Amino acid sequence: MAEEGRRKERIDRGIKIRTSGLYAISGWPELFYLIFPRFILIAGILSLPLVFSFAPYWRRVVCIVCIYAMLSIAFDFLANFVGLINLGSSFFIGLGGYLTAILNAQWGLPPVLSIPIATVAGAVISTILLLPCLPLRGIYFAIVSLMFPLIFEKLIQAFNILGGTNGIVGLDGFSNAWWEGYTIIVVTLIVLFGLRRLVNEDVGLVLRGVKDNDQAVKASGISVTFCKALAVFIASGIGCFAGAFLSHLYMWAGLSLFALDFSIMPIAATVIGGGGTLVGALIGSFILVPLSELLRSFGTLRVVFYSLVLTAFIIFKSEGIMVYAQRKYHQFERWVKV
Amino acid sequence: MIEARDLMVFYENMIAVNNVTLHCDDGQIVGVFGANSAGKSTLMYVLSGIILDIQRKERMRGGERVTVFSKITYAGKDISLMKPHERAREGIILCPERRRIFPESSVLENLKIGAYLASKEQAKETLDYVFSLFPTLDRLKDRQGGFLSGGEQQMLAIGRSLMAQPKLLLLDEPLLGLAPSIQKDVIRVIKEIRRDRRISIIVTEQYARPVIPIVDYAYILENGSAVMEGKGKELMNNPDVKAAYFGV
Repeated sequence: MAEEGRRKERIDRGIKIRTSGLYAISGWPELFYLIFPRFILIAGILSLPLVFSFAPYWRRVVCIVCIYAMLSIAFDFLANFVGLINLGSSFFIGLGGYLTAILNAQWGLPPVLSIPIATVAGAVISTILLLPCLPLRGIYFAIVSLMFPLIFEKLIQAFNILGGTNGIVGLDGFSNAWWEGYTIIVVTLIVLFGLRRLVNEDVGLVLRGVKDNDQAVKASGISVTFCKALAVFIASGIGCFAGAFLSHLYMWAGLSLFALDFSIMPIAATVIGGGGTLVGALIGSFILVPLSELLRSFGTLRVVFYSLVLTAFIIFKSEGIMVYAQRKYHQFERWVKV
Repeated sequence: MIEARDLMVFYENMIAVNNVTLHCDDGQIVGVFGANSAGKSTLMYVLSGIILDIQRKERMRGGERVTVFSKITYAGKDISLMKPHERAREGIILCPERRRIFPESSVLENLKIGAYLASKEQAKETLDYVFSLFPTLDRLKDRQGGFLSGGEQQMLAIGRSLMAQPKLLLLDEPLLGLAPSIQKDVIRVIKEIRRDRRISIIVTEQYARPVIPIVDYAYILENGSAVMEGKGKELMNNPDVKAAYFGV
């Protein structure tokens, strides 16, 4: 209940209204208002390899963070814009990683070709495998997506194919650390801004419609299965790219690509960053992954740590960092008499 | 019975209920009429306390800020801050708009869920009473709630609220989407419930004509404010009201 006789009011800032919609930008303040947050994000991420240029270990961590960030963005896209809860992001990582390993180490394609081919082929394979549960609404997708990484991991182990428990070794690495750092950073930014554009285009509107009420979308003459398949294709493509990149980074593809970390961390990052914002997922990974690196000496207790962080966020700030920050940036509050 | 003074509800900056004062005596049927967006459902949420739950959920999600000002006295007690389940325990039972029955439970189970607060004897007695009011439900006892027709679902929703042993029953748009003949049945039942159980009933509706003959007192809401109030008969003869809510 509010205080007697007055209530807090939230109002959009004038500058927000001026700069939204028609983009009637009439001066530097408006331009600054629009560009500032994006600039901070892009410049901040691009400067990371420079900042850590004398700390090779942390430069590697930046690459890993970007890989998790891409997975988290893909998770956020599927969960909050299409309504598919994907509990098996590690499947995409594993698929992309193993495909590029076969192409590169066994067939001899250079990474410039093997990574894109693994991305597209992995996306096609994941979409086909997940297709049977796409027409359904509800928990089916989550269950099936949780199973795939386990199935593949155990198949490789049991039949001792694709290097078995040793994995495939001898992948080409990147020629230097600048290449590896900037490739993944640029791709992450393209994925982030590309998806942000996509969800506001017509396709994105239809996808959000599928999430809200798939029967109404069907009644409008649109195939729900096709829309979901398209979304899964995009998300799994992102995941497979991340996986392919990761195995070139380690010059090795093994069973740990199917590890549970790759499935859990994106979910935690999305919750902490704020679901439905896409940027939030990225920010969440930039907080969680370095923290978990810092806590590496605690070994498996790290998992306890993220579980606690995740639970605390859900209880105390379930909206997430980005939703909160966006509100503070676009709106101000004041007390008014009623 | 219940007296709500100066109710005000804001959904973010939009005012949904503006300074409404409402009063319902023991054994009365009070009608609240208004078009879409007049604030009827919000008023029901405030009386039943559900608004506090909506408020909390929105706050956790970082969504709209819901601001509520209310002074509600019920049976001589101030219940403005009481949680919805405690209000239900005190006998304020909401029969929500669009019925909200449990679609995967059978009719009998739905009614049993409603009787959670009642003692065994009360539950048994009320169950027989509900089946005597709605013989259709008796026939459909084992059918899943989701497979009932709109009219049967409405009967089930009313039955379920009765099972909770209401002293004050809040019926939110009980005639929504029903055929005129079924509307008539529901109205007859509301009257019977008041007669047999001696409870107070507050009923909201958009179209006043079928309901107004049974109400003792009525309020008319427009954009959140109570623009008119009076005895049912008086309102019926008011030309403005006639044009707006009776469709003549």
